[in-house]
Parts: sequence; structure tokens; C-alpha cells
Amino acid sequence: MVAHRRRNWKQAISRFLLLDLIKGMIVTFKWQAPSKCYTVQYPKVRPRIGERFRGAPRLNRDPETGESLCIACNLCAVACPENLITVTEEVREYLDEASGKVKKKRFLADYLYDTSRCMFCGYCQDVCPTYAIELTQEFELAIYRRKDFAWTWEMLENGIDQPVYTR
Amino acid sequence: MELVERIISNPVMMEYVWKPLVVILILLFIVLTLVAYLVYAERKVSAFIQARLGPMRVGPYGLLQPLADLIKLLLKEDLIPAEGDRAIFKFAPIMSVVCALVVLAVIPFGWGVATITDINIGLLFILSVSSVGILGIILGGWASNSKYPLLGALRSSAQMVSYEVAMALALVGPLMFAKSLSMTAIVEAQRADHIWYLLYQPVAFLIFLVAGVAETNRTPFDLPEAEAELVAGFHTEYSGFRWSLYFLAEYTNMLISSAIAVTVFLGGWSFPLLDRLRPEHPGLFTLLSILVFAVKVFVLIYIFMWFRWTFPRYRYDQLMDLGWKWMIPATLANILITGAIIMIGQETLGLTKVTGGEYGERLVVPGLAGKAYFIGMAWLVLVPLTWIILAIINRRSYDFNLRAQRQIRLPERPATDDVFGKV
Repeated sequence: MVAHRRRNWKQAISRFLLLDLIKGMIVTFKWQAPSKCYTVQYPKVRPRIGERFRGAPRLNRDPETGESLCIACNLCAVACPENLITVTEEVREYLDEASGKVKKKRFLADYLYDTSRCMFCGYCQDVCPTYAIELTQEFELAIYRRKDFAWTWEMLENGIDQPVYTR
Repeated sequence: MELVERIISNPVMMEYVWKPLVVILILLFIVLTLVAYLVYAERKVSAFIQARLGPMRVGPYGLLQPLADLIKLLLKEDLIPAEGDRAIFKFAPIMSVVCALVVLAVIPFGWGVATITDINIGLLFILSVSSVGILGIILGGWASNSKYPLLGALRSSAQMVSYEVAMALALVGPLMFAKSLSMTAIVEAQRADHIWYLLYQPVAFLIFLVAGVAETNRTPFDLPEAEAELVAGFHTEYSGFRWSLYFLAEYTNMLISSAIAVTVFLGGWSFPLLDRLRPEHPGLFTLLSILVFAVKVFVLIYIFMWFRWTFPRYRYDQLMDLGWKWMIPATLANILITGAIIMIGQETLGLTKVTGGEYGERLVVPGLAGKAYFIGMAWLVLVPLTWIILAIINRRSYDFNLRAQRQIRLPERPATDDVFGKV
């Protein structure tokens, strides 16, 4: 009934010289090197974000004409599992320059995106035929008022204001 | 009016009241600031070891963090448990902190002015006063009238009793060479001999270091405040400024432990080749001696912090085991063997002589041969011999531990069920 530990001479000597303790102390000493520091000083230094990260939504504009790429097809609203996208369209007449005739076309009237319910699945950007709606890598979505969670067309195009910290 | 003026300008008052008061204020200011920055240093060291940055936001590199902490602590609510003993609850942290601060008076921070007082029982004074400080912890735990503080206080008292003995016995070895309890005399003895007693007494230094960690309630011996088991230990019910007094006492104790270790084992404020400055530039010498002392103390404090963030906490029975079965026998063996080494060196080989001096008589090892003898004996004979004695004492110490007890099997019962009859 005796749990007497038998040690060979190697173990006895390492115990005598406290080698295990010294080994542990060397490990902690080495980790103090500044190059091993993991901390990113966040608001001052931006962390690196993964390429496939899905963050704040954005409604893209045509870089040449400045008009919205959205054609108000309502596919994103249909695809959304949370039903948080509301697309309002209107039919407007316009002058087609190629044929010189007045034609009718659907235009985007209003776009509402409720970020409070969004789970950033990315179905809306997958389904969009014109690459208008897109989930960017922006992750700072905190706001002060609850109603601001619902992003309007303007917010979707320009993003929301966040304080900028510098080092 | 004249009476007041006479009292103020009285030379006796000047010597024994006003001058000490100024010194006390300066010392307290420096030490308390230092302690605040020790907390900062602790946070930084822990952060670096854990690959973090630590406080960085208040001031450059977080240097104003202690100030912010102080303001936060001052503004916190001061809670006293309703069923607690109010008077003792208020008194306990004061006791702890006063005992820690009183000890500072006899520590030689440097040569000349920096040695505030030198009493001939300095080391004894430090040991006795700092053991009274533990009473503050016990009273605090008791007065809280709560289970965790009481358990912490009980653990603390048991731990202090076992480690105080080893600490005091470890100091006997170097004292056999210095032949004085006065802190200044110990430093002077090492300086005059051009030696650090660490070289003569490696075992005593190691044991003093471990006992010092245990005395200051730091990991791996922080059982009185083990947060995983006892919430916060003896200061669970304390908050705000009273809590910070305990904190202050703990860090001051750490400062004092390393100051004693530096004085007794590492030559105090003396440093090789620095003595040449003393006759010509006494002011510069004083400044440099303070600097040398500070550097040595900070190296030891860093080692304390390094210990804390490297080793996990001991189990309670392991703590007692280490204290009573390893440290105390080791110190006793150390005293015995050191005595024998000194006797042989003194009587048979004639390597030493006892000289009187400014600070009373002490053992002097004049020649290089004598130093080689003492250092060689310490590292080649004292260390292995102590270890062999410890190994013999603890040869069968695992017979009674929990591991063995867990392996005891009860006799097997018959396969019938007594309640429901046959299965």
C-alpha cells in the first residue's frame, strides 16, 4: 500500500538541480520578447481582417455615372432569410438615346436594410445580379440609437460615421 | 509665543523630532510611489510573459496608470459587513500596513545619509515586526465574519508559522560570518571582505528566497488569497481604501524581503571597485550606493514577479510539506555544516581571523586561499550534503500522502443485494 516513487539517477539529478522549475522559467522569460506580443492596440491600430469576412452592407454605385447599380429586382429581399431588406421600386419613363424613344423602366425608390437582425450570411450579395449589394469588411456597427440600426439608402452608400482614432 | 518658538528651535526637538519627521516624510513619499509603480511593473511583467502589452492607455506606455488606480480606489465605496466586528475590521489593514512601513527605518538604502537608522538588532527587529504584520491579516479575516476571509486567514497563519521559522534559520548562516545583526554591519562585513555571502551560503539564499515568496503571500504560495478557492482570501470583504492598504502592505513586504536578501546575501549597497570613489566624492558615492542597492532590489523583485507568472499554486498539503519537511531541515543542516566548515577553516587551517572594527567584531577571510576554501566548500560540500540529508529525511515521505491513500481499496462485497434480496 505504499506509493513509493522510484527514480533513476537521471531523474534524481534533474530533481536535485531543480531543472523542471528552471525550464519553466526559461519558457516564460523567452515569451517576454516584444516580437511575441499578440496585442493589437485596436482603436489606434486597425486589426487585419480576413479576406472573406462579411461585415457592414454597402450599396454600390456605378463609378462612371455615379448612379446606383441596383435595378430594384427585389431578389435580395427574397433571398434574405431574416426578411430584413425592403426594396421599394417605382416605374419611371426615360428617354432612350439609342432609339430616341421614351421607354418605361423600374428604378430604385428606397432601400432599407435592418442591421439589427442581420446575421451576415451573405445571401443577398450572392444573389445580386449587378453586384449592387455587398457585405464589406467594415465591422464597427455600434450606434447610439436603436432606430439607427435600420440603414437607409444613403447610409448604405456612404457608410456610417465612426470616430477615427490615430496613434 | 516665545515658548512655541523655543520648543520648535530646541536642539533636542530638532534632533529627535523635526529631522526624523522630514526623513520619514521623504522616505514614505519615495516608498509609496515606488510601491504604486511596483503594481504597474507587476502588470507589465505579467503582460509581457503572457504576450500582451499591459496598461498602455493612461499616459505614455500607461505610466500614469498607478495614479488612475489610486483615484479609483479613493472614490470607491467603503463597505463594512453588517455582522462584522467594526472596530477590528477598521484596525486590521492599518496594522498590516504600519508593520510593513516601520521596517523601512532600519534598511540601509545606501551609504551615509541613506542609512536612516542603524540599530544593533536590525535583522531581529525586521523579523519580529514583520511577523506582527501577519496579525493584521488574521484579524482582517476574523473581523469580516465571513467564511472565505476566515479560511484565508487560517491558511495565512499556518503558512506564516511554518515559513517564518525557515526564513529566520536561513539567515543564521550568513550571520555566522558577519557576527552582527546590524544591517549596516552585515553590509560592511561583505564590503571589507570583497565577497557576497551568496557565494558562501547558496542553500540559505535559495531557502530565504522561497520563504520570502511565501512570507509575502505571492504565487506559488498565495493560498491565503487563492482566488480559485477563496474568492480573494482574507480581504474578500474589503473594498476601496482599506483594501488598498492591504495591497500596499503586500507590495511593501515584497520590497522589504528583497531588501533583506540584498543586504544579507548580495552585499547591500556595496559594489566592487566603487569604494575608490568614497574618499574623494562622498556625495557621488552615496548616490551611486543608493543606485546599486536599488538595482539589486529590483532584480530580486523581478525574480519574484517571474516566479509568480511561471509557477502554479501549490496544494495546501504540499505547502506544509515543503515548509516542514524540506525547508526547515535544510536550514538546520545548513547551520550545522556551515558551523563545521567555519570551525575547520578557523581552527585547523587557520584561514580566518576575528577582527574588531567600527561595527564590532566579525569573521574576516583575508587570503584568496581562504575565500576559495569557503566558496568551494559551500558549493561542493554544503549543497550536496544538504541535499543528501533532505533525501534521507524525505525518503518515505510519500508513504502518507493522498496518492497512497487514494489507492487503498476496500474489501470486495458479496454479489448479493441486501435491500432487494438476491439479484
